[in-house]
Amino acid sequence: MAESNPAVAVKRSASAGLSAISAEAIEGLTELDELERVYQQLCDEEKQVESELEALISQQGNIETKMLALQRMGPNLQLIEGDATQLSGMITFTCSLAENVSSKVRQLDLAKNRLYQAIQRADDILDLKFCTDGVQTALRNEDYEQAAAHVHRYLSLDQSVIELSRQGGESSAVDASLALLQEAEQRLKALVKERLDQAIADGDLAQVERFFKIFPLLGLHDQGLARFAQYLCAQLAKKAEENLLLAVGGELGERRAALIFADTLTLLLEGIARIVETHQPIVETYYGPGRLYTLIKHLQVECDRQAEKVVDKFIQQRDYQNKFQIVQSSMMRSMSTEKIEPRELDPVLLEVTVMNSRAELYLRFLRRRITADFEVGDATAPKSTVQEHQQSLEKLLTHCLLSRNMQELIGYYIPMEEYYMRESVNKAVAMDTYEKGQLTSSMVDDCFYIVKKCISRALSSSSIDCLCAMINHATSVLESDFREVLYNKLRQGFPATTLQDIQRGVSSAVSLMQTSLQQGKFNTLGIESAEDAKASFLVTLNNVEVCSENIITLKKNLESDCSKLFSQGFGSGEQAQAKIDSCLSDLVSTSSKFKDLLQEGLTELNNTAIKPQVKPWISNFLSISHNIEEDEFNEYEANDPWVQQFIVNLEQLMAEFKAGLSPVIYDTLTSLMTSLISLEMEKTVLKCTFSRLGGLQFDKELRSLVTYLTTVTTWTIRDKFARLTQMATILNLERVTEILDYWGPNSGPLTWRLTPAEVRQVLALRIDFRSEDIKRLRL
Amino acid sequence: MQEMANGKMHFSAPVSKDRIISKFPKWYTPQACLQMKDHWHTRVKTACQDRTTRNVGMKMSKVVVVGDLYVGKTCLINRFCKDMFDRDYKATIGVDFEIERFELSGVPYSLQIWDTAGQEKFKCIASTYYRGAQVIIIVFDLADIRTLEHTRQWLQEAMRENDPGSCFIFLVGTKRDLLSSAECHRTERDAVKMASEMQAEFWSVSSKTGENVREFFFRVAALAFEGSMLRDLEGAGSHSHIGAGDLIRIDQGTAEEPKAKSVKKLSCC
Repeated sequence: MAESNPAVAVKRSASAGLSAISAEAIEGLTELDELERVYQQLCDEEKQVESELEALISQQGNIETKMLALQRMGPNLQLIEGDATQLSGMITFTCSLAENVSSKVRQLDLAKNRLYQAIQRADDILDLKFCTDGVQTALRNEDYEQAAAHVHRYLSLDQSVIELSRQGGESSAVDASLALLQEAEQRLKALVKERLDQAIADGDLAQVERFFKIFPLLGLHDQGLARFAQYLCAQLAKKAEENLLLAVGGELGERRAALIFADTLTLLLEGIARIVETHQPIVETYYGPGRLYTLIKHLQVECDRQAEKVVDKFIQQRDYQNKFQIVQSSMMRSMSTEKIEPRELDPVLLEVTVMNSRAELYLRFLRRRITADFEVGDATAPKSTVQEHQQSLEKLLTHCLLSRNMQELIGYYIPMEEYYMRESVNKAVAMDTYEKGQLTSSMVDDCFYIVKKCISRALSSSSIDCLCAMINHATSVLESDFREVLYNKLRQGFPATTLQDIQRGVSSAVSLMQTSLQQGKFNTLGIESAEDAKASFLVTLNNVEVCSENIITLKKNLESDCSKLFSQGFGSGEQAQAKIDSCLSDLVSTSSKFKDLLQEGLTELNNTAIKPQVKPWISNFLSISHNIEEDEFNEYEANDPWVQQFIVNLEQLMAEFKAGLSPVIYDTLTSLMTSLISLEMEKTVLKCTFSRLGGLQFDKELRSLVTYLTTVTTWTIRDKFARLTQMATILNLERVTEILDYWGPNSGPLTWRLTPAEVRQVLALRIDFRSEDIKRLRL
Repeated sequence: MQEMANGKMHFSAPVSKDRIISKFPKWYTPQACLQMKDHWHTRVKTACQDRTTRNVGMKMSKVVVVGDLYVGKTCLINRFCKDMFDRDYKATIGVDFEIERFELSGVPYSLQIWDTAGQEKFKCIASTYYRGAQVIIIVFDLADIRTLEHTRQWLQEAMRENDPGSCFIFLVGTKRDLLSSAECHRTERDAVKMASEMQAEFWSVSSKTGENVREFFFRVAALAFEGSMLRDLEGAGSHSHIGAGDLIRIDQGTAEEPKAKSVKKLSCC
């Protein structure tokens, strides 16, 4: 207490700014040391205060000079105030002056504008007069361009100006010239229409173009475009009819005969594209941008008409509808009287996809052109107009008869392509052959060739919906139909051969019979030789694996094909991409179903072919005594009693699978086998008894086995044998208590896979370990 | 695998607030509904609270919307997904689709809604999407009784590609705003009868006013979610998965065991 008090007191005094340590604190001090320390403190404080005071005093002079300067400034401030007031007055004055001047300028400006307007009007009236005279002369000289130019000038005059002029002094004169002009305008319009119609009837392109250019001058944009389109349509129709006639009557031996309707359609669409290309500049120059849509709208009517003719002829000549109906009815009922050979559909399916891709290409061309034209025309238009234009373009393209016709063709195409795919796959399955030495049989390659072909054909139609539909069909065919085929083959099982297997063989034969009976037909596979059945099972396993790989490859290839399609501008943006992505991810998910099937098949193989063989070999271990002394141990050293034979047996057993299975599957199978061995060994070892040397023998045997198995598989097997290795360690102990050197805190990097109970169980296998010692162990 | 992981990342943005469903949505009418209970299945509830379920990744169910042309399938979807209603009729070409993301009991979940064209000529395209659907929504026009009669046909076609009992079926009458309450009542009675024949749940909606649309889709999402969770929970018992996407199955019985119901795992890439 006595020590802490002064410190507190010092702090307080410092914060209060008062000198010294409180008097009571000093009075309370009794020790000399303390007193001296406080005294010293007080002295320090005094020095500090003195230096502070000196600093303050030294500043005094400085402050006094500053005060003096401030006092001197007083009168100056009064002067400044006066000046400021004067300045403000001057600014106010200037301001009002400026206002006055500017209002006069404004008035002048107004007057100037009025003057300009007056001049403009005078000019207009003069123009009007000039136009009136000009039109008359031009019409007399049949110079329609000149006449139209005059009328255009008149039409572009401000109508209100003309009205005002009529109210003026010269009303009668203006009226007269106006009447004349209007009359001339009507006459010119009628004349130009007549002449254009005449030119169209004559098919005189030069004249058609001449009068077509006059229409916009007279404000008759739409009529001009309509008439011009009429001319173009007539040309188009003539050409198209010729082409179609040629196509229908053409020699069927021609090289492209199989695609003649697709070619005819192509000619038609290319013709229109060429027309658009040639005449777009005229329309743009004389009618201004944003008019292309109107022209194409008229052309599309003719295009629709001609395309429909081609499509109708196609349907008729190729017997398209009929083929579709046959296909549909044979898909509804599997037993149909009439059936089409899938190969027969090849040309017609190809032709439809070509037709559709041409139509898509054409519509894409129109979209590009019209959009670009609208963009120029609508540069300053309000948003609503832009939207309206976009909608009308969309409507034109998606609802034109050409589109609808193509949609219908594709509508028939998809079920026919589906039929083609299913039938061909069925055929590939039925004609499945397998050559010795090959890992897979023909049907896998054939089946994927067909699926790829069908999807590629759908892709070549450039229709995203069509492509997606075929991807979905392919997914269904692979996942249900084809997987089912492989699944049924695996269900027939791997035939048993050894005596030990007879029981299992019988039961699998019974189940085979049952399934055959359920399917209503007797499967000839049942009486095939066992060797063939074995090979068939292994080939099927390989097939399943290849399928799973092929599906992934197919998806990857399709993805890159689609991105090519999209980069060419097909499919309208995100929606199409998302649709494709979704369908492709459905497709690729079937790959894992094949993987599941493979796993099931391997388990089956492991259970039927490996387990029944391996089990007795392992149980042979029981007949070899491990309760041995030095002599027997040496005897075993010279003549291996079990493990070498076991390894030889395994080698023989697996040789067949190594030859018949793909490396990946074989590896999985050996992995299953090693799991089986470790499990069975464990069970067997627990049934034996061991001496000290017996434990050593077992350790040696296990090492040989693990070394062998490590060489045959790429999977790590140490883990699978961890429990057995630990059992060997236990069986190899000198004393029961030695286990504690490895257990619990002494286990080091070793992780025990055996429970304490199991450790006791294994210890008990050693005949030389006393059960009391084992019981006494604290694990 | 890499792609799948990326896909999941892409979808892990938070679900918008108006798509969070915490309370189990109710039926429209008890006379024709798929479930009467008003709470989550207990097993699903526990699974939702389990952290591991939340980390499984994006779950998605496939919903297919079918029905006659001009009954308002696209309008129904647009009202829910984009909250808009377009008076002009625009025929759907082929199929369209939307992905709608939800959060149910704290677990993210998506519906992939396929909007099919009602026109006959597009049926061949639309029908390829029926397979593997968890939900089939059959739409008809409350003001046109013939479209209700056709729903039976639509159901038959959609179920041809699916195992019976594998999907939830909804019967939805649209354009409710066009009918007087008396007319509406009469048609609904017929529809309820039809729905119970189909073992479907009946809903009556208006896409124009938005009446019942949100409630309906919430109900769809909840039932589909619960269904797929239950199936996963059952599935997990019969086989274990090694690795995230490889789905190697450790088989329990022989190869003869019935085909496990295909558990759709849509990757989102």
